[in-house]
Amino acid sequence: MSDAYIALADGRVVEARGRVPGRTRGELVFTTAYTGYEESLTDPSYEEQVLTFSYPLIGNYGVRDERFESDRIHPRAAVAREFTDEVVEWLADEGVPAIDHIDTRALVTAIREEGAMRCGIAVGPDATPEAAREELEQCKEMSEHADIGAQVSVTEPEVHPGGGDATVALVDCGAKGSIVTSLVERGADVHVLPYDASVEDVESVDPDVLFVSNGPGDPANFEAAAALVERFVGEVPLAGICLGQQVIARALGGETEKMAFGHRGVNQPVRDLDTGRVIMTTQNHGYTVADPGPKLDVTQVNVNDDTAEGLANDELRVITRQYHPEANPGPHDSLDFFDDVLAMAGKGSEKPPAVASD
Amino acid sequence: MTDEATSTDSRAESENRTILLIGSGPIQIGQAAEFDYSGAQACRALQEEGARVVLVNSNPATIMTDPEMADRVYIEPITTEAIAEIIRKERPDGVIAGLGGQTGLNVTAELAEEGVLDEYDVEIMGTPLDTIYATEDRDLFRQRMKDIGQPMPRSTTISLDEGESVTDFDAGALRERVEAAVEAVGGLPVIARTTYTLGGSGSGVVDDMDELVERVRKGLRLSRNGEVLVTESIAGWVELEYEVMRDADDSCIIICNMENIDPMGIHTGESTVVTPSQVIPDDGHQEMRSAALEVIRELGIQGGCNIQFAWRDDGTPSGEYRVVEVNPRVSRSSALASKATGYPIARVTAKVALGKRLHEIENEITGQTTAAFEPAIDYVVTKVPRWPKDKFDDVDFALGTAMKSTGEAMAIGRTFEESLLKALRSSEYEPSVDWAEVSDEALEAEYLETPTPDRPYAMFEAFERGYTVEEVAELTGIETWYVERYGRIAEASAAAAEGDFEPAATAGFTNAEVAATAGASVDEVEMSVPERTFKQVDTCAGEFEASTPYYYSARQPEYLNDEPLNEVRVDTDVESVVVVGGGPIRIGQGVEFDYCAVHAVRALREAGVDAHVVNNNPETVSTDYDTSDGLFFEPITAEEIADVVEATGADGVMVQFGGQTSVNVGEPLEAELERRGLDCRILGTSVEAMDLAEDRDRFNALMDGLGIAQPEGGTATSEAEALDLARDLGYPVLVRPSYVLGGRAMRVVHDDDELAEYIEEAVRVSPDKPILVDQFLDGAVELDVDAVSDGERVLIGGVMEHVESAGVHSGDSACMIPPRSLDDETMARVREVTEDIARELETVGLLNVQLAVKEREGEAQSASEASSEVYVLEANPRSSRTVPYVSKATGVPIAKLAAKVMAGASLDELEAAERIPEQVSVKEVVLPFDRLPGSDPRLGPEMKSTGEVMGTASTFGKAYEKAQAATGKPIPTTGTAVVDLSDDEFPDPDSAAGRELAEGFAEHFELVSFDDPEAFREAIRAGEIDLIVSRDRAALEVAVEEEVTYFSTEASAKAALEGIRAADDPIDVQAVSDRPKRVAEWGK
Repeated sequence: MSDAYIALADGRVVEARGRVPGRTRGELVFTTAYTGYEESLTDPSYEEQVLTFSYPLIGNYGVRDERFESDRIHPRAAVAREFTDEVVEWLADEGVPAIDHIDTRALVTAIREEGAMRCGIAVGPDATPEAAREELEQCKEMSEHADIGAQVSVTEPEVHPGGGDATVALVDCGAKGSIVTSLVERGADVHVLPYDASVEDVESVDPDVLFVSNGPGDPANFEAAAALVERFVGEVPLAGICLGQQVIARALGGETEKMAFGHRGVNQPVRDLDTGRVIMTTQNHGYTVADPGPKLDVTQVNVNDDTAEGLANDELRVITRQYHPEANPGPHDSLDFFDDVLAMAGKGSEKPPAVASD
Repeated sequence: MTDEATSTDSRAESENRTILLIGSGPIQIGQAAEFDYSGAQACRALQEEGARVVLVNSNPATIMTDPEMADRVYIEPITTEAIAEIIRKERPDGVIAGLGGQTGLNVTAELAEEGVLDEYDVEIMGTPLDTIYATEDRDLFRQRMKDIGQPMPRSTTISLDEGESVTDFDAGALRERVEAAVEAVGGLPVIARTTYTLGGSGSGVVDDMDELVERVRKGLRLSRNGEVLVTESIAGWVELEYEVMRDADDSCIIICNMENIDPMGIHTGESTVVTPSQVIPDDGHQEMRSAALEVIRELGIQGGCNIQFAWRDDGTPSGEYRVVEVNPRVSRSSALASKATGYPIARVTAKVALGKRLHEIENEITGQTTAAFEPAIDYVVTKVPRWPKDKFDDVDFALGTAMKSTGEAMAIGRTFEESLLKALRSSEYEPSVDWAEVSDEALEAEYLETPTPDRPYAMFEAFERGYTVEEVAELTGIETWYVERYGRIAEASAAAAEGDFEPAATAGFTNAEVAATAGASVDEVEMSVPERTFKQVDTCAGEFEASTPYYYSARQPEYLNDEPLNEVRVDTDVESVVVVGGGPIRIGQGVEFDYCAVHAVRALREAGVDAHVVNNNPETVSTDYDTSDGLFFEPITAEEIADVVEATGADGVMVQFGGQTSVNVGEPLEAELERRGLDCRILGTSVEAMDLAEDRDRFNALMDGLGIAQPEGGTATSEAEALDLARDLGYPVLVRPSYVLGGRAMRVVHDDDELAEYIEEAVRVSPDKPILVDQFLDGAVELDVDAVSDGERVLIGGVMEHVESAGVHSGDSACMIPPRSLDDETMARVREVTEDIARELETVGLLNVQLAVKEREGEAQSASEASSEVYVLEANPRSSRTVPYVSKATGVPIAKLAAKVMAGASLDELEAAERIPEQVSVKEVVLPFDRLPGSDPRLGPEMKSTGEVMGTASTFGKAYEKAQAATGKPIPTTGTAVVDLSDDEFPDPDSAAGRELAEGFAEHFELVSFDDPEAFREAIRAGEIDLIVSRDRAALEVAVEEEVTYFSTEASAKAALEGIRAADDPIDVQAVSDRPKRVAEWGK
């Protein structure tokens, strides 16, 4: 007897084995990474989503909080072909419903064909297909989570000292811990500001760089951050990652759009239009910059679908990435982005590029 | 942005360029079919780019040496002499060295060192030579790694100063030095290695200080340069490999990583390997990934390569790692990685060598993306090696740092358990252990602590006995995560025995296996377990829609949901045929059967029939995703093939081409197709006829009816019966157990004593284990004939004459095409016999017949009429290992013809004609004795060779000499030789034949002899002997160790003499298509 049900927006209800009981709902998405489940599950960008792992065996090397990207699990529920007991224990501790013994490849191909879709989940001895359907009915589209920033952001400013070589104001739209770590490691003091920080908040920090972080959902829902970009562009160097790139592009006259099912994984190839070099990147986004607007140039593109992966304006001192240079999980190919950001602010160390060209 | 221009340039550059591609030569332990696969893929890639490809390989059993694979194909020795000659003829612009294994790399380096490449202005494409040297020289490599700060196992030297002697040291002083060294490498345990000693003594892991001090003392005394190397021991760490690809723009990617289940200390070729890694956390994995990229950039490699790491959990979140080594070329692991992920490493390497950038190369699997990406997989891949344990009773198969396996099987599943069980099934290995006889102590010491081919099965056994996961992990040193899953398999199997089928089925057992365990019927099991569906290998874990028909089966989870997703996209409306492959490479079943399977596929596709392949060998061309219309990476069992038939709606199955593996599945498959009510036939010669050929009694009766002679013989169920039978037949007789196949335990015995001894020691005859006693045709010439029949006409592909006489397994004998000892009469009889057998077995497809020709007793030795009798030894209506050799020597593609007649064409419609070559092609075998210490290095009735080469010339002597050179063991033509004819195999030294042999060698060598066998062995060890003719096993074992050429039979010694006499003839390098053949029929 199955004790877990996923009701999909396409009308199907799929049975599986329940690992952590509960009822929930969210946008069903998948990641193709096979390592990094701890980092993914604690990535705030998965807020309001149900995360399916396309790799079948999840939890093999245990759970350690040093590897977490934030202080809690963000997806509403987790789905895999097989979870280890250890990862199930963690999910249970945090009350996140989990499901396995399910043909996740069938789910992934459905998402690929029909797009990221809403789903409802019911897990536990009393779970029924109807309960899952009820959850589905109440499930909102991602763009309808208007105040999603409040769910993932700090409420009060936080300071992470890094030696004072530079001062970075990081607008926390759901920032991964590794972004902070990457900046601190390079000598920057990082002031983490709430997603709805005011101009005054930023001014009081007097940053060398205004940095807009990654975050969940639709960039249109981060109006406060966009207002900061509009206000400080040209005055303070700007950097952005993931949702941060989208927020900056929108604020500077560009447009974003929702993708069919997004990019989620650690093998997305990105080509630098200047050097021709291709690097592998970590990605987790459902929206993309469709038009960079009049002020920004596309400097890097996705090799698979040509979407904008890097934007810049040297004069205005803006540099952004759609992917996650901070890795965790994923390749360390693009960590030098943080050097570039600090160099742009005139605060970079003389660290040579991570990769010598020959 | 310059990529447009670059792309056009590279294309223009490669167009009209001539590229020399060097293959890897014969299949041997450590270098199997993977280079046929990579070479074939590279040929195609280079031609796509407009290059003219000149290919050289000495191995005729390969697809890459097919005339259509390259613009010019040379089957010539991979020696500097031969390749220099080819370079002179073909004037290539560049040579790609990284695709022909170590053999290809070595010969390219030698050609460069000898100045040949410079002289003819041949560029080394892809990875530069300096890089190759940097990876092969331990010290150089260590220095380069140190320069870029990459950690290698820490190492230091304890050495004596000039004039110092270890006896000068008091215990304290030496201990101090040793302790300092141990501290420098991070503490005990360490590996202490004495440098420059004879025979490599004194190397091993030590974790006791007193023992280490003693070892160092001894080592310093023995070492010629007064040094002992102390290295951090990484034994027991997790061993990982990363496959890397890099282009000229410095785009650099990881294709996948591979985790060895067996810990560091066991060669990765000997280890069970899993992709992707399971026990390494992301940050640890990313650290190694970055290190891999950094190392490959530092070395300047372009194309595919492989880097090995050791990793352990040291308590930090990422663990710690060491760089172990780099292979700057495509390797066995890259073949595995290609098949595991769908990323065609050899193809991309070839294009990168021509200057293409990764993002300019299409990802053929998706058709939407490029080669500039890292594959994501959503399944677990497991590789299991296949060892020749059954062939070498004397060899210790404890696994270590040297490879002993001949091949491997790969499997794909959605769980580790499924993947492992499929891989074990695919390897077709059965441990010859009666577990009931093994005590717990023995199980622990001999099967769990000691890694052997039997270890997976021993782990299952341990769980059955109630061992815990912790205990098994402790004993084996295998990571707990894996051990736990072995335990689940054992648990599921136990549940099946109790009638609960589902856990075993979802763990990955077939319904038939579950039924056998439970004592139930397959129908009962089938009704109560989830079904298997086919899933696609798509390089992207489902992210993009893929168009390539590459599939694996996986059991659905136990919860049934509507229609399970079935991804098979083949066209079920057209006529289609499933071709069954040969599984892992093993002795007696080598790459030649992959050649046959691939030809069958190509023939079907040429005939407009869709061809699907079922196979599990990752090293082969047949498992390349674009060889067939549907690739199903599956174990070769009736149930799993029937699944493929069902999924594809195939109309027929071909089981003739994959060697014994596919032939054996014929009968159960026929039954399974029947059980499922599938409208699908086994094509060609009937299963019934194939069985008949293997049933001794029925076959005898058939031959009697046809008036075809056979050696006389019978079956004995006791020693007395055997002795009676032998005396009746007259010694020598050939004896073998009736219950084993393939020449195992077969022996020629010359008298009662030998027979009694054989029975006593080797077989222990009994009524349920009878032995076969046959007349031994002493002095007969053995022949192999390969033919194709369409049911009416019989086409003879070629008649081969063995160099060795009866008594040496046909698979181990050198042989020649055309024969040279047969008169017209005999050849006519050979034809007649072959045709009669083909018709009587109603052969449709291939037929191999083994014959012996013996002069009639009492008749003159002149070539008078019908002076010889032709005996049939064996007939097999299926592909044989000689098919590719015959095709290469004659130019007649018999495997393709066979597939076409099986699909319904007649030989006349195909306008097939026989051809007889005007030159002699000699096939020589490659023997694995140097890899298997303790094995008997003498040729005999049991097959031991792993591969073969071909040498062609206008005389037998030159062809034989070329073939020997191609095996890597050229015949010396001068120096000191021992001609020891004391064994019965040889003519009496005092006879005319004996004197002739000795005098023949005396013309070229100084002959020496030894009365004392120990002195003989010492002389070999001292390098005083260049050539040996002998059957002194102990001496020959030393010869193997010291790489001294020897001949253990009269026939090979005589052939060697002919070769030596022809050694000074010009090497005569010619493309296969240029070698003259005449259209004529054999025996007419």
